[in-house]
Amino acid sequence: MSHEELAGKLISELKDRFENVAVKVVSRDSMMLKIWNNQPGVLQTWRDIQVSLLLGKQRRVAVLEFRVSSPDELLAATKRVGDLMPKVEESELPIELPEPGKPSPLEGGYDRKVLEYASDPKPLVEAMVSSALSAGAERTAGTLELEEINTTVATSKGFEGTYRRTGVVAHLRTFKGDVSSHWAWGSTTVDTKKLEEVGSKSASFLSLAKTKAFFEPGRYDVVLSPLVVGNLMNYVASMSSGMAVLLGMSFLSRKKTGDPIASEAFTLVDAPRDTLLPGLAPFDDEGVETYNKPIIGQGRFISLIHNAATGRVFKARSTGNAGWINPRPWNLIVEPGTSSFESMVSEVKRGYFILNNWYTRLQNYVEGQFSTVARDIVLEIRDGNLVGYVDRVRIAEKFENLLKSIKGLSREVYDITWWEVRIPTRAPYILAENINLTKPSI
Amino acid sequence: MVDEVLLERVVDLARSQGATYAEARFQEDASESLTMRNGRVLGVNTSVSRGVGIRVLVGGALGFAATNRLDQESLTSAAAEAVSRARAVSSLMRSPVEFDESRVGRASYEVVPKVKLEDYSIEDRISLGKEVYSAVGGSLRQAKLSVLTFGVDTHIQKKVVVNSDGALVRSTVPRVYVWVNFVENIPEKGTIQRRVEFGASGGIEWLKEWRVVDEVAEEAKNLENVLANGVEPPREEVDVIVGSEIVGLIVHESAGHPMEADRILGREAAQAGESYVKPEMIGRYSVGNKYATVIEDPTVPGGYGFYLYDDEGVPARPRYLYKEGMLHEPLHNRHTAKVFGTFSNGAARAMTYAREPIIRMSNTYFKPGDMSFEELLEDIKLGVYMKSYMEWNIDDIRWNQRYVGLESYLIVDGEITKPVRNPVLEVTTGGFYSRISGVGKVLRFYPGTCGKGEPSQGVPVWFGGPDVKLSKIKVGVAL
Repeated sequence: MSHEELAGKLISELKDRFENVAVKVVSRDSMMLKIWNNQPGVLQTWRDIQVSLLLGKQRRVAVLEFRVSSPDELLAATKRVGDLMPKVEESELPIELPEPGKPSPLEGGYDRKVLEYASDPKPLVEAMVSSALSAGAERTAGTLELEEINTTVATSKGFEGTYRRTGVVAHLRTFKGDVSSHWAWGSTTVDTKKLEEVGSKSASFLSLAKTKAFFEPGRYDVVLSPLVVGNLMNYVASMSSGMAVLLGMSFLSRKKTGDPIASEAFTLVDAPRDTLLPGLAPFDDEGVETYNKPIIGQGRFISLIHNAATGRVFKARSTGNAGWINPRPWNLIVEPGTSSFESMVSEVKRGYFILNNWYTRLQNYVEGQFSTVARDIVLEIRDGNLVGYVDRVRIAEKFENLLKSIKGLSREVYDITWWEVRIPTRAPYILAENINLTKPSI
Repeated sequence: MVDEVLLERVVDLARSQGATYAEARFQEDASESLTMRNGRVLGVNTSVSRGVGIRVLVGGALGFAATNRLDQESLTSAAAEAVSRARAVSSLMRSPVEFDESRVGRASYEVVPKVKLEDYSIEDRISLGKEVYSAVGGSLRQAKLSVLTFGVDTHIQKKVVVNSDGALVRSTVPRVYVWVNFVENIPEKGTIQRRVEFGASGGIEWLKEWRVVDEVAEEAKNLENVLANGVEPPREEVDVIVGSEIVGLIVHESAGHPMEADRILGREAAQAGESYVKPEMIGRYSVGNKYATVIEDPTVPGGYGFYLYDDEGVPARPRYLYKEGMLHEPLHNRHTAKVFGTFSNGAARAMTYAREPIIRMSNTYFKPGDMSFEELLEDIKLGVYMKSYMEWNIDDIRWNQRYVGLESYLIVDGEITKPVRNPVLEVTTGGFYSRISGVGKVLRFYPGTCGKGEPSQGVPVWFGGPDVKLSKIKVGVAL
């Protein structure tokens, strides 16, 4: 049974029992090769179908998610949920699916070569690893993922749409002595040169770590790599969800449109229609056409992202970001600036370059109070020069302070997706002033 | 469930196609959850994931394939694909993967709830959410409750593991999980936020033991005091009593993770990271003093991370990660055990059929001592008691870590006095385990979902410990 047939069958079986029904069918054919100590760790393959249902009846809401093979089982479960619904109270955010439009399709986003390489990923892996070793790495670890995703959405309002995309996600960590480095790339197309760059660029930072420097906690100017920018902007964008605001999980909950929340140089865009980034989507999970939109524009808060239900709460329209229940960003773009990595470093009198981070955690989402730990090379900058490397340090800040402290962004941007940047992000290097850095005293 | 004969056929097929080892794991995860905001329902969620994960060793390369189509043709095709793709990259293996000779089991086990999950009605779930909201709001005098979200999840996990070394293990583990997230607000003081979690394996009987409504309301009241009256922590070095909730998290992060043998070897280097521990340090390096004993035990009854056999069919048992300060025994699967020249201690675990089994923690805890809370307090002239936390993180070698206290108090002359706001314990692993000067006798466990692997797989764990006293700590303050 094709996606469309399955979705159609479910809609026709359910639309008389529920006032609002949406079906999402996602099939995945993917391969992931994990590398460690310069060799494959495991080659994983998935071929499966996930079917999700959104059911609304008399202001009650249920979501069902299945990774099973039988449509009959799905229908049996909806019967049980239907019986359950009268016992559930009315939802605070009832479903009223939008009338169907005609979303324009996306050109691109699919590369047949991705599947060809999935059968034999060896040349791509060798390109990543050998370029890193040639650039001076002693040891490498990372991942190459190749996937084809087919998505169908149908609603009881009459929408039905299907799109397909491919994805390539590659990241490589490199080691030399006691320092490590990392780089990543995410795209919808295979590009051998970009995969080589994942290895060579990762290894290139290792050569900058010549001598060990002493670190004293305090406030410093920092140059953040696109890996760090990608990670932090994943958090900021997720907090722009209308649901995150309703749940008290966002520092944007007390902001109004137009409020200054970042440096004027900073613009953050949700970009579902960018077909080079693997989070693309022509329509959302309610069948609404997607569009690229700023979340933060020239330093000012522009908009939350919404599905139909959160849009109604905030007296706004859906922004094409459903996510049933929780709206979500698709791809992120941090608009480039006019600077370069080298000129940013040259501007810093006393500060640090942070290549990579992980474990971003918040003490208080409403205040945007967080910390995050550097996990690869951190280089001290003195009088515009990279002078030595220090042990892992931590950024401990508030998101709004960090965003307002941005003084420069590079012209060059990088398409980043990896373990710590799950929402594909195109990001530049960023220079931020007077940022709080810490480390343990014992 | 699945036809076990089919799983055995898949294993035989993979072997016949050249795999030196093969395993087929059927896994079904079924969960029901409810989410509420401010006492009102947002929605209910039902999810079922059911399929087979097949893992093979071919020419020293490890291959894994997963499918949720359970017919013979689909399973056969997945097994053939796992074999062929592993073979395709086997020429890149400089150090072929090998498994140890661990004894594997043929067994069936089931956690039997006293009150079945299916007997917990939707009305009762909603009623609990309403009671929590009402009780928290009612407990506050000065602060306003900005928002409270509540969720309850019930989950049944069934597995059948078959492998070419003769394992056949069937298991059923039900789990219950309740979470509450709330924000309090006093306009002139700002906000304070807390997430409280309860979780265990077993049935609905746990709800009575957890006293969710009373516990959360009590916390909310105490946090109102912190928000309204909290002071900065002392600037000088002081003694710190780290509450059991934070101790549990610390042992998970700084004893459990660094003692995972796959990290020690570098297999997780690009994802969850490596470890400060090197193979030659096991049994030779002291990371702490005599109080520092950390145990990892999948067999703790009721544990959120409970299991009796791992996903390679190896029997589970308690492991002493740190023993009186010494690095003692890493967590192993059959691959790392072979590299270390030992036997697996049963730590391989997968969260869904679509994930490879990797080394995971289960129930990790700091060994309790013999002191009452009053005895921990009594000789402290000036100190800080950190009872709960929100923000935490640790670096990728599990050495440099930070925990920001939420419900925290100043200790003066052996007495708990004023609340303290946002104290920061930022220490190294060696710093924490070597500054312990007293250990409480009451062991408490807390649930968590531990992330690791690529694609990431979150597994349920318990972490726990008693209250622990540290000497001469410089406490920071979060901005």
